[in-house]
Amino acid sequence: MRKGFLALLVVLLGALGFAQGDKLKACWIYVGPVGDYGWSHAHDQGRIAAEKALPWLETQYVESVPEAQAEAYIDRLVKQGCEVIFATSFGYMDSVLAAAKKHPDVIFAHATGFKRAPNVATYMADFYQLYYLNGLMAGALTKSGKVGYVGAFPIPELKRHISAFALGVRAVRPDAEVLVRWIYEWYNPAAAKEATEALIAEGADVFAFTEDTPTVIQVAAKKGLPSFGHYSPMKRFAPDQVVSGQLVHWEKIYIDFLAKVYAGVYTNKNLQDVDYWWLLPQGAVELGGEFGEPINPKFVPALKAKKVDHPVFGKISVYDLVMKELALMSDVELAFDPFQGPIEDRQGKLRVPAGLRLTKHELETMEWAAPGVVGPWPNEPK
Amino acid sequence: MEDWIWTTLVRALAFGTPILLAGLGEIYAERSGVVNLGVEGMMAVGALAAFAVAQSSGHPYLGLAAAAAVGALIALPFAFASITLRANQYVAGLALTMLGLGLSGLLGKPYEGAPLAHPLPEAGFVAAALLLAAGLWFFLRHTFGGLVLKSAGENPETVDAMGINVYAVRYGAVVFGGAMAGLAGAFLSLAYRPSWADGITSGLGWIAVALAIFAAWHPLKAVGAALLFGALYHLSYRLQAVVSPEFLKAMPYLFVVVVLSLSALRRGPSGAPEALGIPYVRGERR
Repeated sequence: MRKGFLALLVVLLGALGFAQGDKLKACWIYVGPVGDYGWSHAHDQGRIAAEKALPWLETQYVESVPEAQAEAYIDRLVKQGCEVIFATSFGYMDSVLAAAKKHPDVIFAHATGFKRAPNVATYMADFYQLYYLNGLMAGALTKSGKVGYVGAFPIPELKRHISAFALGVRAVRPDAEVLVRWIYEWYNPAAAKEATEALIAEGADVFAFTEDTPTVIQVAAKKGLPSFGHYSPMKRFAPDQVVSGQLVHWEKIYIDFLAKVYAGVYTNKNLQDVDYWWLLPQGAVELGGEFGEPINPKFVPALKAKKVDHPVFGKISVYDLVMKELALMSDVELAFDPFQGPIEDRQGKLRVPAGLRLTKHELETMEWAAPGVVGPWPNEPK
Repeated sequence: MEDWIWTTLVRALAFGTPILLAGLGEIYAERSGVVNLGVEGMMAVGALAAFAVAQSSGHPYLGLAAAAAVGALIALPFAFASITLRANQYVAGLALTMLGLGLSGLLGKPYEGAPLAHPLPEAGFVAAALLLAAGLWFFLRHTFGGLVLKSAGENPETVDAMGINVYAVRYGAVVFGGAMAGLAGAFLSLAYRPSWADGITSGLGWIAVALAIFAAWHPLKAVGAALLFGALYHLSYRLQAVVSPEFLKAMPYLFVVVVLSLSALRRGPSGAPEALGIPYVRGERR
């Protein structure tokens, strides 16, 4: 009897101990404020969703961490017991690698980066497929044939997105131009506003952008001009003018990664080749200005009315074209890709030969501009 | 061409308005002898106060009043440190900027991303700023009060000899400067954006400080200077297609450096108040 009681006690204590050790603590480092309604906000939504989905997960975050000070923040998080650390800005790359060496027991995952280590994985949910679809819609909606784009920095990520967007615009309206203005900041509402005003003055009448606030949408909406949301559900800022946009589901990556860490699939020794490059098929990104709504119903009639001659589908409305290509790109077979050759750059040089597609590496290092892109393009290859 | 001039002028007026409002306040503070580098911070708390009050009460004009009041209020500790305690004005001003930016960022969290139901029109602010500039010039140039204010910055001993309290004059000017910076912030969060975001001022406060010097501490010249800055800022996006964007982005600031250098080279008095930046100590000779 007493033996049985002792055994029970041991089992109970063991279970208790297991239950405590059972928790996994994951921590996030954000470059901006979580309230920015852009990049950092989207990552934080992913963190919250992961915490809800995984009962054994405990999370913590620090926001507005300057890129140069990331290492000090990582040290502090490790001291506070973080076992997995997500660094969510490209600029954290070298700090993450240095910290990973210093803390070999901790698992790191770095968003948008390309340097890995046994305990550092990389991940990215990319939008280029969505930009192409947004481009199709923009091409159908522009009256002046000038589409405005406010860009943060002329880096490969944005160049890839703007080129995909321009390819979409030109697929519907071959004579259209995408006017690009750079503001050299991820977060600067005043600059985004003046850049948008400048584009309006140049005659642009549809807008897309990469900046962490809904400013471009608000400025365009004041003039009654349509625009596309970026990163967060921005339709609420201009319900009558936001056509569609790009939405992200970082939680898809976070949940997958954390579950694999928890199950022991990913350890601090085997992440050298773990690189998430998740697109539509994995559900990491979504088309729309609001979750669950790929196209604002207010714009559906106009998109259905606009017909194009498509090389594969024949005469088809832009609405159907968007939906068809969305379905194709959401399938793991990926029967369609925006960067499907033959594609020349804006200087007439062949960049993607017929029958080929850009590889992930080529996409990540893309510097050329698609035809129709008008504006400065630093580091443009000759 | 006509279209170019027109759109540039409209954007110059809109973008120049917050710089002009805050710059006018800074001109008054500096005319009284106090350099306040806290404009950026006062602007930020003003912007937040305006947005918070306008959003929760539904009355944008109440937000406007709150912005001026909060801007004036946060200028008080600076005035106390730099005028009464005679602390270094530059250091105290920098501290005010950091305080304002930090405080507004912290308290503004619940308002991030929230829409504003009743924004104010930009044009109203533009007109008000221009009228204010004219009124402030008139006060400075043609009234006894203006004479006292200028004297406090040129030769505070004289003001003291007249039986007027130099400290009170300087306190008044600094607090007024705070209220103006608050209004500039209100323009950003109630009309220009209109919404609240951390870091909404994005360096405009610093341009306002430069504006005071650039305009030679003259309210009417400040209008021209603000227009020029606004136009340059607008053109830095307009001309991107032809001129390198990096250069254009630096242009407004480059311009400040060039103009300040030129005005320093000019012979004769620079127009700066004689006692600018020097704490007044009663009964002590300079």
